[in-house]
Amino acid sequence: MLVEFELIERARSGDDGAFNQIVQAYRKRILGTISRTIGRPEDVEDVGQEVFLRLYYSLDQLRTPEVFEPWLYRLTVNAAYDYLRRQRRRQESRMSDLSEQQVMLADAAAGGKRRDEEQRRTKIRELAQSLLGQVSEEDRILLTLKEVEGLSLKELEKIYKVNENALKVRLFRARQRVLKAFGAKENSEAVSKAGFGSVDDSE
Amino acid sequence: MDRMQDQGDKLDALFAEYRMACPDPEPGADFMPAMWKRIEARRVATVSVFRHWAQVCVMATVALTLLIGAVLIPRLQDNAASSSSYLEALSAEHSGDYIHMLAGGPR
Repeated sequence: MLVEFELIERARSGDDGAFNQIVQAYRKRILGTISRTIGRPEDVEDVGQEVFLRLYYSLDQLRTPEVFEPWLYRLTVNAAYDYLRRQRRRQESRMSDLSEQQVMLADAAAGGKRRDEEQRRTKIRELAQSLLGQVSEEDRILLTLKEVEGLSLKELEKIYKVNENALKVRLFRARQRVLKAFGAKENSEAVSKAGFGSVDDSE
Repeated sequence: MDRMQDQGDKLDALFAEYRMACPDPEPGADFMPAMWKRIEARRVATVSVFRHWAQVCVMATVALTLLIGAVLIPRLQDNAASSSSYLEALSAEHSGDYIHMLAGGPR
């Protein structure tokens, strides 16, 4: 926990100052999770604000401060899911926008080595996001929380309120789909430049 | 099987790299003010929705009261004025019975 239970209790009872402190403690972590989940840097703050807006208006429904973090992650998952669902139709253009934007960022970076590193990171981001784009929005978020954010099954169980076995099955299926897509892309230029798999330009 | 394991390991490595390639972003200076602005906007919107519904309820109540006052009450009063009471109606119906009884009329 990044904050004391007492602070959460105060926020629950309507103390805006306490709520402000909670947001300041968690905002970076939540923005990071959103960033890796939705893969669109310019919308991260917007989704993050939506998460804390929902938190503000649902804090009175929180049973105990002990379940605050799973609760916050649940709100994050829901906000990210709503965002991804809204963006579903624009997914194609989104990926190309992202590339352009990140290439521009990379171009702006000073120094050759730094630029190379930024380009490599851009390729990794694009590859990971395109692989995660192969599964549904729900599975994409679940897989990101487990594989990228490193949340345990126990933690996911609390967030999703679903039993561990159901989560395992869902994660397994989602991972299999991503693995299949990864296998198909393994020989592509993006993979080889990012340092994964062998270099093979044939397609 | 080995190939699948190999791919699984590579995927894990990719996810780990992805985690590092996307560090937690620093929130902008406008993050907190913009968030509070949205909270305030939602609060105002909620209040205005309640106010709207309250106005609708008040108007519906007034309209119903006027309807009752203008149509139903005069109609009820008319019925009460024109119709006789139960006792009057009963005595009118059986007024002849008493005469028959006195005369030792039909049984």
